[in-house]
Amino acid sequence: MNKVQTTQLEGHFQSYNPSKTMKFAAAIGYRTIGLWLPFVQFLSDAAAVIWQGCRPTTWRRPVRTAFMRICYQAGTRAVPFVLVSGVFIGFGLVAQSLYWLETFGGKALFGSFLSLVLVREVAPVLVGLIMIGRSGSVIMADLGIMKAGGQVHMLEAQGIDPFLFLVVPRVLALSVCTFCLSIVFVTIALLAGFVSGTLFGLLNFSFFDFFGRALRGFGPEEYVLITLKTVIIGFVVGLISCKTALATAGPSVNVLEILPRGFAKSVLSTLLISVTLTLML
Amino acid sequence: MTIIIEEHRTILQFKAAVLRADADNYEDTEELNVSIYGGDFVLIRLTRLEQTSIFADASAGLIKTVQGAVSFLGNDWQRLPPDLANAMRGRIGRVFSSGNWIRRLSLMENILLPQLHHTRRPLSDIHGEAAALAERFHLAGIPLDLPGDCRPAELRYAACVRAFLGRPNLVLLEEPTGGSFFEIVPPLINTIRDARNRGSAVIWLTRHSEIWNDRSLPVNRRYRLAGRRLLEVAP
Repeated sequence: MNKVQTTQLEGHFQSYNPSKTMKFAAAIGYRTIGLWLPFVQFLSDAAAVIWQGCRPTTWRRPVRTAFMRICYQAGTRAVPFVLVSGVFIGFGLVAQSLYWLETFGGKALFGSFLSLVLVREVAPVLVGLIMIGRSGSVIMADLGIMKAGGQVHMLEAQGIDPFLFLVVPRVLALSVCTFCLSIVFVTIALLAGFVSGTLFGLLNFSFFDFFGRALRGFGPEEYVLITLKTVIIGFVVGLISCKTALATAGPSVNVLEILPRGFAKSVLSTLLISVTLTLML
Repeated sequence: MTIIIEEHRTILQFKAAVLRADADNYEDTEELNVSIYGGDFVLIRLTRLEQTSIFADASAGLIKTVQGAVSFLGNDWQRLPPDLANAMRGRIGRVFSSGNWIRRLSLMENILLPQLHHTRRPLSDIHGEAAALAERFHLAGIPLDLPGDCRPAELRYAACVRAFLGRPNLVLLEEPTGGSFFEIVPPLINTIRDARNRGSAVIWLTRHSEIWNDRSLPVNRRYRLAGRRLLEVAP
């Protein structure tokens, strides 16, 4: 738009005197747009990550290396923690399920009950929370410090798009790792449940019978649901962490301020995704 | 879109470009009309550290000019699509006044990063060139430590290694001495000489009178920012 057109528009708006109704409608519209804008921006960023992730030119050597490095940090190094969590949850959840199902005479429902609770709800949310605490917070601190220290600007000056080098590998790595860790978590929880049930005399079936009952309780929707939930939760946690750190402007980024904000957003999103997908499938 | 690389090797051109200072209390510059050709070694004296970054950012097309245009290899930065602009920035080597290093990557990874990103050169090839440059800057090979574990002198030398790696068309040196590390000047001058012989242009941005008054520097043009005007001074 050139200068003459701008001046004409300014003149038009100066002479425009809206009614109270119009002002009220404008105020509502303004607030509505303000309310939805972050959500729309988030969706556009998510679409950009998916689009860039599908382009072969995105996966240059440093991006591939960054992806592998994040997979190692967020995935491989989280395995011991997930194993321990899986053991505790397995002991508690499976033992409790067996105890109460036996008390109420519903032991035949063991498989479906276990799949309902462990696979549909507990595993995706718990692994999501582990990812937020172990990896999301590290990403926020790391990128926040980089932004404040001028390294993000340095990447731009070197012609390296920070979105490709910093955001895409982190988001996709967290997505892949959340799925993989959830599978590890479910397997370990079931194993721990079997061990605890056998130790406390709650189980009177064999190892294979135990797993057969559990797996028979999994319908196709359980497989779809755990995949969708974990992949989406990992993706959203990664994107929120990156966006929270990089959206802060200027060199005065305070990591201590962005961490609680990003943590709260990530936890709420994880729970929201879990509930929404459970209701949908 | 195709990139046009001009025959007569105008590396960088400010055409009636007005740069906006970042902070509120600094005024915009007057129109800058400067052309930097292949083989040029230009020394520019600025008064504030922010100005060195602004000038370097404008040269790399990272900030928009208030008016006028900045062209690199005949291409106006503002008209280049983002992907191509990033690819063109890969032809610019730069020593930054601050924020040179990603702390989680080793110094070697930091040095090799732009070449690994922008080219398909074999790693051994890049590594060999970096090692040769490191030797020129008195480093015993490319440092493998994290930047936080390196001495400031090593970091200064390594920043120069990265800036000249890959034979860039333009090298922007923002305070490469860091104000007081003058031991870097002799190897830097040797490397600049080689770069000029290859047809690269070098711009040294400084605030310090020691560098500005050093007549042994083989610069062929000198500029200083006086108020809002960039004045050419006899070399």
